Amino acid sequence: MTRTIMHIDVNSAFLSWTAVHMLQHGSSIDLRNIPSIIGGNQATRHGIVLAKSIPAKGFKIQTGEPVFQAKQKCPNLVVMPPDYFLYMQCSSALSEILQNYSDKIQLFSIDECFLDYTGIEKILGEPIKVANQIREQIRKELGFTVNIGISTNKLLAKMAGDLKKPDMTHTIYPEEISAKMWPLPVEDLYMVGRATAPKLKGMGIHTIGDLANTDIELLKYKFKSWGLMLHAYANGIDESPVHPGSGHTVIKGIGNSTTVYFDVIDKQTAYKVLLSLVETVSMRLRFSGFCCSVVAVSLKTDELISSSHQKKLMTPIDCTNAVFKEVKSLFDEMWRGQPIRQMGIRVSDLYTKDYIQLSFFEENWDKQRRLDKTIDEIRIKYGSNAVIRSSFLWSGLSPLEGGVVDEFPVMSSIL
Amino acid sequence: MKVLMKPIKMIAWFEENGKLMPIRYQLENSESEKISVNVDKVLLMQEEKLAGNKMFIYKCQSVLNGLERIYELKYELYTCKWFLYKM
Repeated sequence: MTRTIMHIDVNSAFLSWTAVHMLQHGSSIDLRNIPSIIGGNQATRHGIVLAKSIPAKGFKIQTGEPVFQAKQKCPNLVVMPPDYFLYMQCSSALSEILQNYSDKIQLFSIDECFLDYTGIEKILGEPIKVANQIREQIRKELGFTVNIGISTNKLLAKMAGDLKKPDMTHTIYPEEISAKMWPLPVEDLYMVGRATAPKLKGMGIHTIGDLANTDIELLKYKFKSWGLMLHAYANGIDESPVHPGSGHTVIKGIGNSTTVYFDVIDKQTAYKVLLSLVETVSMRLRFSGFCCSVVAVSLKTDELISSSHQKKLMTPIDCTNAVFKEVKSLFDEMWRGQPIRQMGIRVSDLYTKDYIQLSFFEENWDKQRRLDKTIDEIRIKYGSNAVIRSSFLWSGLSPLEGGVVDEFPVMSSIL
Repeated sequence: MKVLMKPIKMIAWFEENGKLMPIRYQLENSESEKISVNVDKVLLMQEEKLAGNKMFIYKCQSVLNGLERIYELKYELYTCKWFLYKM
């Protein structure tokens, strides 16, 4: 059966949400009409551009670049801080409206949703007419604009939604692929990023059409299974269903990273920052009910050079101290004394805790596990800073670093 | 009317059906004197959901300095704050 899928994407989400919130509170300026960005705090070095207005785009300001660089491009740039609580509120108001149109809605990220419209045509009418109605309702009630892409699968709907912004409805039905999607540059294809695009261009593949018409065997030879997926996507083939809810049920790894507000140059401080990350990651690991058997550490130096190191463990672990022990040894192996700007740790290869193969030759973490359980319970009951390690006292560092904003929808790259 | 969006102290009541109605509020004039204003009439009540944030807008009428004036009040549900929105 032919499906009808809609992809709803908020135009410059963080920026327009902040703009609408300000207007609602009496602001005379609409951030969307002036060069403006949503940016992190520069003092703590979290200053990157999270979202930009369309006039800011005119100054060639890009999402992800440092705020100070954006300010150099446009000295009158207005910088507003992010407000994640507001964004979650906007996101849930959006999905509340969408629920009037279908029962199958997948929150793909905080500002994107898929809506399965299959079969509802008979009740509510033509998809394009209804999409325009949805856009109108969102603009009127919530005050921001969205783009809606319509097609027969999630991939094409998403590609259609990205065609021309803002506040528009587009379709890319299978018969329109060659006219609407194939002339686009290959980096516009979903899942072709800054690593894949140069490789494809090196092979003489510049447009999505080039990729679609490339010999599949060649792609398979160069990119393995990834190549097959790219070829399918370029031809508009995608069978993934709309998963109601957030759709992300499988956790493959848990990680946190932090940009330190100064450059870390000594081992003791680096250990402390890593420990603060281990505290949150291992707590999240235990709360999700898993043990991990791969631990990875990543560093970014003051010259923005990244490196990472990982280790496979014999016995799966979930203890703060056990993870920290591995993290320390990985860090010692990779660090050559360069000033560090950013540190991250990640645990993966997760196992459920039901059965764990223990080893004679490794430490028994049983006692530690009981301690972790107690600490976790205290932190749940009295707040995460109720018990902290004394090494963080007067260190100027946070005892628990990273973590996720509660219930903030996670990003995914899986359709 | 000019947008003011000034936070105000408010006395309001809930009607039997749950509707929130403004009764009397306190304003600061240009000489920083506090003056109390009775809400004589609520002409219109509207719900607003911009950015998913629920607010109620009241178009009201009161006598200010011997003059009958129309203005707007706003109530933000999430923060429970009242504002003199437009006058």
